[in-house]
Amino acid sequence: MESLKYTLLKIIHVSGLTFLEPVVRLCYGEEPQLQLKKIGRFIVIPSLTFLAFLVAWALIAPVYKTKSGEVPTPAVVWDAAQGVKRFHERESDKQVAYGLSGDERESSLAAVSEQRAILNSLKADADEQVAEASEERTALVAEEMEPLATAYETKKAEFKQAEKRREAALIVKASQIDQRDIDAKNELLAYIRGHEFQTEQERELLKQLKAEQDDVRNLTYAPLQNAMRLQTEIAEKEQYLAKKEEILSKANRSLKLEEEAARLKELKLQYAATTGPDLMPIAQQMLQIEGRMQKIVDSEYAKPWTLPMQIMRSLACVFAGFFLATAIAIPIGVLCGVSPTFMAAVTPFIALFKPVSPIVWLPISLIIVGGVITDPETHWLMVGMSNLPLIGWLQINPAFIASAITVALCSLWPTLVNTALGVASIDKDHLNVARVLRLNFFQRLTKIVIPSALPLIFAGLRISLGVGWMVLIAAELLSSSEGIGKFVWDMFNNGSSETFAQMFVVVFVVGVIGLLLDRIMIIFQRLVSFDGAPAAI
Amino acid sequence: MRLLHESALLMICTLRASLFLSALALCACLPGCSTGEGAVPLRLELTEADLAEADKLAPQDLEIATSGTKKLTLEKTDLKFGFIKLTDCAPIVIAREKGFFADEGLSVEVVAQPNWKTLLDNVISGNLDGAHMLSGQPIAATIGFGTSAHVITPFTMDLNGNGITVSNSIWEQMQQNDPALRSEQPPHPITADSLVPIVKSRLASGEKLQMGMVFPTSTHNYELRYWLAASGIHPGMYTESDIGGRTDAEVELSVTPPPMMPATLEAGNIQGYCVGEPWNQQAVAKGIGVPVSTNYDIWKNNPEKVFGVTQEWANANPDTMVAVVKALIRAGKWLDETDDTGKLVNREEAARILSRSDYVGADFDIIRNSMTGYFYFQKSDKRPMPDFNVFYKHYCTYPWYSDGVWFLTQMRRWGQITEPKPAEWYDEIARKVYKPEIYLQAAQMLLDEGLIEKDEVPWDSDGYKPPTSDFIDGVKYDGRDPIGYLNSHKIGNKDSL
Repeated sequence: MESLKYTLLKIIHVSGLTFLEPVVRLCYGEEPQLQLKKIGRFIVIPSLTFLAFLVAWALIAPVYKTKSGEVPTPAVVWDAAQGVKRFHERESDKQVAYGLSGDERESSLAAVSEQRAILNSLKADADEQVAEASEERTALVAEEMEPLATAYETKKAEFKQAEKRREAALIVKASQIDQRDIDAKNELLAYIRGHEFQTEQERELLKQLKAEQDDVRNLTYAPLQNAMRLQTEIAEKEQYLAKKEEILSKANRSLKLEEEAARLKELKLQYAATTGPDLMPIAQQMLQIEGRMQKIVDSEYAKPWTLPMQIMRSLACVFAGFFLATAIAIPIGVLCGVSPTFMAAVTPFIALFKPVSPIVWLPISLIIVGGVITDPETHWLMVGMSNLPLIGWLQINPAFIASAITVALCSLWPTLVNTALGVASIDKDHLNVARVLRLNFFQRLTKIVIPSALPLIFAGLRISLGVGWMVLIAAELLSSSEGIGKFVWDMFNNGSSETFAQMFVVVFVVGVIGLLLDRIMIIFQRLVSFDGAPAAI
Repeated sequence: MRLLHESALLMICTLRASLFLSALALCACLPGCSTGEGAVPLRLELTEADLAEADKLAPQDLEIATSGTKKLTLEKTDLKFGFIKLTDCAPIVIAREKGFFADEGLSVEVVAQPNWKTLLDNVISGNLDGAHMLSGQPIAATIGFGTSAHVITPFTMDLNGNGITVSNSIWEQMQQNDPALRSEQPPHPITADSLVPIVKSRLASGEKLQMGMVFPTSTHNYELRYWLAASGIHPGMYTESDIGGRTDAEVELSVTPPPMMPATLEAGNIQGYCVGEPWNQQAVAKGIGVPVSTNYDIWKNNPEKVFGVTQEWANANPDTMVAVVKALIRAGKWLDETDDTGKLVNREEAARILSRSDYVGADFDIIRNSMTGYFYFQKSDKRPMPDFNVFYKHYCTYPWYSDGVWFLTQMRRWGQITEPKPAEWYDEIARKVYKPEIYLQAAQMLLDEGLIEKDEVPWDSDGYKPPTSDFIDGVKYDGRDPIGYLNSHKIGNKDSL
């Protein structure tokens, strides 16, 4: 038992999940009071603050409204997340449906037809509800509008008359003024100014009344909104089921194949029965059908990218960039650390390129990649990648490579600098030992330099990965390479009522993944350090 | 042509070869082709059983089998098309969702693009097979204005569909300048006349009114310029050194991607914009601006988006090209289907599909407004606009040379084409970009399959629409006389060739 405890503690220590330590110790009855205190501090307090954050969010969000939209409440964000998930599930389902054949297809088709029948009855209800609620709302608006509209009209008429009266009075006044009477003329001027001011004020007042009317027109009527939400949900489901039905019936892979096979059979018989030059066109048709069948066998449902797939692709992209950065940064960093001359030579480049933004790197790398891979469809690298078993579906294209290069260019600096620092600050005694043992350059590198610099190198890598993850979203957004960045941009461009909520979903997704990546790097960092290098939060 | 040529060649080959030899060739190539994952064994081999079965068949059975319609040989079946989040991408989306692509044996992925430049670059670089494009884009790419590449279009996607929206404060000032605009439903068309004093007073105080459009060669740019210039406001010229098009401008136009328009207007960076749907209705819904004019008022039934591919792609995939156009024509027809009373029956469903987040993604209500033939100019001003989006009527989908020439005249008028060109040049470029022959081939096949009616396609047209004066300023446009048309405008380049 004791040994299990120490294993657990070790794991907790290495993974940096120190907040679990008091829990383990408490389970073993070690200083319960102290452990409870720690649990309170490291688990209860953070949970409470997060809860408080959620509550504050839920309370503040509805208050804050702009013309572009409302800040979503946690519940709305949760709904949006469900919507994103549902979209993914439905598209995956369609993909499965495309490949179904035989009994499975038929039973699935029957199930879909049944669901559609149920949905149709629901749909009529929902439509009715919407119509009812809409009428109610119209009535409500009309009711509220009426006094406003009459008030507006009367005020408008009133003001118009008042204006006319004032004008007439002014004209009368004007006609009585003597040509040389400066005082009277000045007086008139003041009157006219007053008149214009009055007119302007009346116009403002009318505008306000108009705005009130607009507010009433915009009235949100909860029953109608709910009915419409239900209607939308049903309509979306209906659309999904209709498409699925089509995929299970006429657009199904196995059915398409059967159809072609039947034609082929027919032609084959004809081919068998025919003699002479007529054989030629028949054989050609047969071969055409055969080619078509081959394409059908290989075909897949053209599934749109969904968030889970985009997350996978983003991860692939960030790691591609990160490994590229590592492969560049560590050797250069080691050289920098070993040789002050080399360091002096590359310092200007580091200083120059380090602060450059990903937004600048991306177009440059897009152009370079586009220059190397002129025809992505036939380029050996692209073709080779698309045939790889695990990453083939990621559809690696020039935009992906350009994004990965951008990630690499932005994230290699922390690793490079840390490696150089790590190598340069090796204990002199260690190097003296190496000299005494007459180790050659490579032995010195592998036995002394790299092992002692590893903790700092990994500290650099950890920062690099974090930077890379942040940069990636921007790079994907710009290069329209499928991934979380593209998702963000697409949803933003939708400009729908759900857009903001979807942004919040992305905030959490990106945050959680970033956190996990960071944890992974912490584990590596702990594993390579001998002195239990402290990990920041 | 190519097909005929190939089959003729093959015919000669086989006549020479004996039956035995061709059978041998069949056997040799088949195992290589069939790599099916155990789904259906694909092996073309004649067996004794086939012979025996064939012997039982009566001769007339065979007769019928021979006369089966010839199918297209698709060079490529997995396609990727790009689009911008605007309702007029509908033909592509509908062809996919309603299974018209699938009927042609195509599996099509449609991918949203962030802006028109990236979209065009992706088509040219081969990342996309084809895309929903601005009419001006294939032309500009072909003549080398901006990104240079030979892009063609065999299909016009829609007519009309754009609007000009101004901010609330500009609208108020316009209302003050023209009392007729003060009513709940002001008379249309609204010209830029009431905007003139605003522009003048801004100029006097040393600033210029800023307006947004979506791309230098977009319909929106030309329409906004047309609307302004029709009232004597100079929208600025493009010159060799000024590729922003602001030389001599009284109103400065700048590029903003469509989805960003409402936000940019609200932020005050621009005071008005010209863009496609749903971004005008969005401004009304959010209460940040007022659409003052649609492009239907500026030019009745003007061409809007086209479907563009590179010439290279079309050459490599001639049959796929025809199949794609077939599906798009059917989608257009579906979208414009009406019942006896003239009501568009499928638009509600189309709006529902388009509101999906991977397509246009805006709220259903907003997309529905313009798609179902209504347009909100203000919250209190909802008007029927049955022809706001036309996808099939008026021979809409046919790629007219005269449309291409109009865009060329606008490019010349505003200096994007820097040198004067003779009239023949306009025709030549239009023929290089617009490909009615592909369209007609697809239409003929659809007619044979009974999917469209004979009177829905202008079979014998020479590609030029009859001259029209349906413009906001009444200037007559005849595609055969581009120079005369150029010279009939007050503002802009004039040529004397």
